[in-house]
Amino acid sequence: MARTFVRIFAFMLAVVGIYAYVGQLLPQFEEHPPRKNVISLQTTPDELVAIGQELTRGKGGCLVCHKDAETGNVRGPDLRQAGPKAGTRKPGMSAGDYLLESLLKPGEFLVPGFPNMMPPANRPPANLNMAEVKAVIAYLQSLGGGEPAVKLLAEDFAQANAAAILQHRGRAAMEKFGCIACHKVAGEGGEIGPELTDSAANRNPRELLAKITNPKAWTVPGYPAGLMPAGDALPEGEVQEIVGYLANLAGKGYSATGAASPWSHEGVRLGLVIFLFNAAMLIALAIAGRRERAA
Amino acid sequence: MPGGITLQATGTGRPAFEALKDTYKGVLKISLLLALTYLIAHGLSSVLPAADYRALPVMGNRVAVWIFAQLHLMFGAFVLGVPIFALITEIVGVATREQRYDELAREFTKLLAMAYTVTAVLGCVLLVLLVTLYPKLTGYLSQNFKPTWILYVVLIFGEVVLAYLYWTTWDGTQGARKKWHLLLGLLVNLWGTAILFVADIWVTFMMSPAGIDDAGNVTNLWQAVNNHTWMPINVHRLLANVAFGGAIAAAYAAVRFLNARTAEERARFDWMGYVGSFIAIAAFLPLPFAGYWLGREIYQFSQQMGVSMMGGSFAWLWILQAFLIGSLFFAANFYLWLGMGRIPGAERYTRYQVAMMLVLTLGFVVWATPRSIIATGVEMAAMGGSHHPFLGLFGVMAAKNTAVNLMILTTFLSFMLYRRANRVPLVTWASAGKIVQGLVIAVASGVVLFYGVYSYYVTSMVRIGFSVYQVLAVLVAMAVFVAVDIPMLRGARQIGAIRWGEIPARAQYALFFMAITFTWLMGLMGYIRSGIRQYWHIYGRIADESAHAFTMTHGHATLIVSGIVIVFFLLVSVVFALAARHEDRPEAA
Repeated sequence: MARTFVRIFAFMLAVVGIYAYVGQLLPQFEEHPPRKNVISLQTTPDELVAIGQELTRGKGGCLVCHKDAETGNVRGPDLRQAGPKAGTRKPGMSAGDYLLESLLKPGEFLVPGFPNMMPPANRPPANLNMAEVKAVIAYLQSLGGGEPAVKLLAEDFAQANAAAILQHRGRAAMEKFGCIACHKVAGEGGEIGPELTDSAANRNPRELLAKITNPKAWTVPGYPAGLMPAGDALPEGEVQEIVGYLANLAGKGYSATGAASPWSHEGVRLGLVIFLFNAAMLIALAIAGRRERAA
Repeated sequence: MPGGITLQATGTGRPAFEALKDTYKGVLKISLLLALTYLIAHGLSSVLPAADYRALPVMGNRVAVWIFAQLHLMFGAFVLGVPIFALITEIVGVATREQRYDELAREFTKLLAMAYTVTAVLGCVLLVLLVTLYPKLTGYLSQNFKPTWILYVVLIFGEVVLAYLYWTTWDGTQGARKKWHLLLGLLVNLWGTAILFVADIWVTFMMSPAGIDDAGNVTNLWQAVNNHTWMPINVHRLLANVAFGGAIAAAYAAVRFLNARTAEERARFDWMGYVGSFIAIAAFLPLPFAGYWLGREIYQFSQQMGVSMMGGSFAWLWILQAFLIGSLFFAANFYLWLGMGRIPGAERYTRYQVAMMLVLTLGFVVWATPRSIIATGVEMAAMGGSHHPFLGLFGVMAAKNTAVNLMILTTFLSFMLYRRANRVPLVTWASAGKIVQGLVIAVASGVVLFYGVYSYYVTSMVRIGFSVYQVLAVLVAMAVFVAVDIPMLRGARQIGAIRWGEIPARAQYALFFMAITFTWLMGLMGYIRSGIRQYWHIYGRIADESAHAFTMTHGHATLIVSGIVIVFFLLVSVVFALAARHEDRPEAA
């Protein structure tokens, strides 16, 4: 029997080895996530073109369908002459406007012979902000010998910043639960309670957490106690997000989701389910045992 | 795994109290495992410093999670696939009144208890790893999918209770009470399918998120659940589980066949291996169609993801997939042709094997032909590009779809010839029936070839639609063939009985080959499914900002898949060995 097992195991290793070997014969390459580029009003046109090229080839995912060099994909139009051609695609529309429209509303105009399959560049998965979209436009304008004519505006960054704030779940939670009505945070909010922008500078996350769930835990001198409603009924995850947001504002690293054990708020309910199953089974066992004894 | 051994000892028809007691042991085991997992995960989260990611030394986060997730999935597939396999066989046993089918179903159900334990342990380790190493992602998912966690735990307990009862009541529900046992089997499978569907919510949401706003908050839970890839993956995994369960069951029978000491044992395990492989291949044949559906939904969700999968970073892995599935087709046909050697009358069909081999070989070659050929600059200049002027024609989906459909038809035909090998139909319309069967196969092949060639002359959008006609032609041909075959062979004259046990040992290695290849294929497809998210935890929404966010080389990935497959078979061997050892014990007889 042992001999058979050894044979079978050797056979398995041989088959797995062949598949692993075929895997080594395939082209080998690694693909890294796109680098985060910092674009500002001071970014020069040449820098913008370079960032745009990186976005086109990386985060934007444009080369999955287009090509900007001799070799590449031809599912979408060839980009090598994008600069000179952009101004001729739609009569009366400038090259910059056309490129902006083709990135944000790709279905508005289709180059003949190509299907409507491109996702807008400012939506997932590319999810470029307006500054990044303009960097891509600068790069496209530079292709074919053109000059980048795109202008960066202050509102391009406002949109990017707004998106960043939107993404902080802690800020959203503070607005949702009305904290902002009494507390000023990052320049916005009421003045009934103390400003919270630097509140995490001298308090650790545990203390902040305690204050939110139980306001009597401690009080900032100069402010009346008993005004703040208890947040013990707030979802733990969102409370952790608020603490995380405040810690970030004070320049401290704190992972809200990392601190909250994902199971901590589920543990009781899951435990209850387990208990109920066990109790039900034990009752069934007791009934069956009694019937067996009676028989 | 004491729970498993205890259970085996009880599968002999004991009173309700004993059956319940053993079932409760299973519930208690899972309860303790879950409680321990919670304590460890919660404890580690409290003790370790807060972070979005925590690093696991040596192995690294991604590889550790990958290995345990894949092993958990494989065992999960086994414990969900085997009950489907067992119920089908049990129903066949009731319908044909052949006791051996009932014994076969019972034999495999016996493996479940130990397999459940291994699955649960792997799942618990995976959960601890996820909670500890990826707290940000796990926190996000657990907060947004709260109701599904509770549902999942309820379903797991329900499945454990039903599956244990299915086993412990086996002997006590023979005869008139058999229908209740079949109902229990049906419930086990419905419950198991529900578990699969719930688990798929999380992975498919990560692939194709829906029902969330720009900030990532879930705004509509049902939309998040019923995302683009949820139902296609549910169906794909369900079919794959049956195929996988059948393949592993066949491999188990092959081990027992090779270790058999008597002709009677050899006959028993030979037949068992055949039934396992039959169910595996029957479930395997529609899998490519479910795969098409999944692929279509991925494109519907994100063209970019679809293109990355089929024509971008992961394109070369489909060549490897073609190599694996082509090998599976070869092994399945090889096993059937060897099996026909023990069937009197099968020699009538031997002459077709060369032609079928030719179709399979050509199909294999076409399917495994890459679109772009790895070549030096000089070679590329000579070819006029990275596509070979002639071979490049076979590297596109038009040719590959044609090849795979013809390979499916050929394998189906092998099955049908095997089925009628020792029978001569006596119905008066037998000749007409055979002509109809020949015609439907010829027409389906013609349709597949016609659309394959026509595909080269139309745009890609039109071409995609042609694959539906090809698939429909094959499905209709198979359905018509079987619809004619069943009444035609009813009451057929038998040339001779199948000489079970008289099959070469290499046929058993074909069964191992299929099980190993299925497993490797599952590992590879699992990697592609997860890998096409690239540097996203949740595609387009939550980026993976860990050090492991890059897509690794194909060579590295295939080595990890190979390692997983080896560990899986080592674990399965332990389950098999314990089951076999227990059977050999005198008190178990």
